[in-house]
Amino acid sequence: MQDDPMEQAKAAIRHWTGVDCPNAAGRRALDDFPALIAEFAALRGSLAFEDEPAAFEAVLREEKERNT
Amino acid sequence: MSDLALLSVTEAADAFARGEASAEAMVRACLARIEAHDAKVNAVVRLDREEALAAAAALDRARAGNAKLGPLAGVPMMHKDMYHRAGKVSGCGSAIRRDFRPEATATVLERLDAAGAIDMGTLNMAEFAQNPTGHNRHHGDCHNPWNLPHCTGGSSSGSGAGVAARFFAVALGSDTGGSIRLPASICGVTGIKGTQTRVSRAGAMPLSFSMDNVGPLARTARDAARIMRVIAGQDPRDPTSAAEPVPDYEAALSGDLRGLSVAVPREWFFDGAEAPVVQGFEAALDVLKARGASIEHVSCPSLRAIGAYVSVVSRVEGATIHAEWMRERAGDYAIHLSGRLYGGYAIPATWYVEALSRRGPLLRQFCREAFAGHHVVATPTLRMRVPTLAETNIDASPDNWARHMAVSANTRPFNYLGLPTVSIPCGLDDRGLPMGLQIAARPFAEARALMVADAYQRDTDWHARLPAL
Repeated sequence: MQDDPMEQAKAAIRHWTGVDCPNAAGRRALDDFPALIAEFAALRGSLAFEDEPAAFEAVLREEKERNT
Repeated sequence: MSDLALLSVTEAADAFARGEASAEAMVRACLARIEAHDAKVNAVVRLDREEALAAAAALDRARAGNAKLGPLAGVPMMHKDMYHRAGKVSGCGSAIRRDFRPEATATVLERLDAAGAIDMGTLNMAEFAQNPTGHNRHHGDCHNPWNLPHCTGGSSSGSGAGVAARFFAVALGSDTGGSIRLPASICGVTGIKGTQTRVSRAGAMPLSFSMDNVGPLARTARDAARIMRVIAGQDPRDPTSAAEPVPDYEAALSGDLRGLSVAVPREWFFDGAEAPVVQGFEAALDVLKARGASIEHVSCPSLRAIGAYVSVVSRVEGATIHAEWMRERAGDYAIHLSGRLYGGYAIPATWYVEALSRRGPLLRQFCREAFAGHHVVATPTLRMRVPTLAETNIDASPDNWARHMAVSANTRPFNYLGLPTVSIPCGLDDRGLPMGLQIAARPFAEARALMVADAYQRDTDWHARLPAL
């Protein structure tokens, strides 16, 4: 059981947030995580040191269509 | 004039302005359709019948007195049950907020009121706007007017079903991962999510403050244009709302697609797409080409990262704002919702910040991939045909999880990107259920997306078809 990463995740969630797994759907939600971990692993290296969330609204203005 | 409930927003407003129809008659026509058919559809949560009739009578008197009235004067509408109206219950499709009465009215409702709209009440929705199918255990599932055992799409289920059933001409929905565009596509109506920050969120239930959007579901792109003109624009009550000027969207509906270039991404949007959906999409592109548009398939490698990051942002933000209730009363949520929220607590904070930090650079990259030399991006709104309520019901079986979550695969990327995106009906599949064409434009180019949608609707009648109830 201790080697099951999803059981470890459930324990960590309970420890850090006080939220218990509510039902089988909660467990199912965690089943998506191995695939998501792989997707994030594939993206390693893409975050630049200077990137920050506030850039988003600046890019919205920067990329707007002209003359509409 | 025959059944006034069949009028679109602009038809109803224009009929009222010309004195061809009274507001009271239009409200009564809508009430009659609701009373005749909502037992089957289950779109309505609260019907404010007497207040709507009183508001209509007041507008009729004002028109008789030659008062200057707004661009939506006399138009009956209802809205997703998540927009605050001072003193009225805003239940958010939930048991947890079934008695919540806000003290202030949402900015979007105030703007619609000022434009002369008549608010007839509130509509069914996914609980806390958190599913793409419209399932709701508290109010009962909303049913697709085209085929009742099928889902309506969510989370703005009552908005999509009600417009399709002609209970009213327009309804506000909200869109964090597709919740306007999905019910629009699935119910065969038109819906628009504006640019992130385009429409005030003040007084709207939060789901994900980074990706929540307010917008209309209506019959036509012209209707959506009129509503957006009224509700868009900076709001001091929403500090994230953009200062960009709001154009006259209706004035941009020229119907002229000559010189317009449409990009169709090769990646993501067709992964596992069902054949009838692809056929319907290609037929829709042919309509645009016949009006003078050119079509080019483009490569958008950014979509891989976008697809990963979008799945993180709303889950973390939703899990965060629901944490207290998840600790104290998780059993008051539907099974699928508490399960979905629970998954949000497993996501590392560093992933969440990475997803938000990459949002600007990925928007810039996507614009260069998709909009270099092109004006809009077109995709199917859904990859799949409209599923049934049963086959996407997670509460009945967790085995339905993947099918349920796949419904929003094609809409979510545009929430992460913050781009204005329209869904319009583009046909019926081999089972007689609607399919949608999704059109996205550059930031703040709602007018461009609506112009393309309107041009398509000039040559097709999918938006005008009425489901048999």
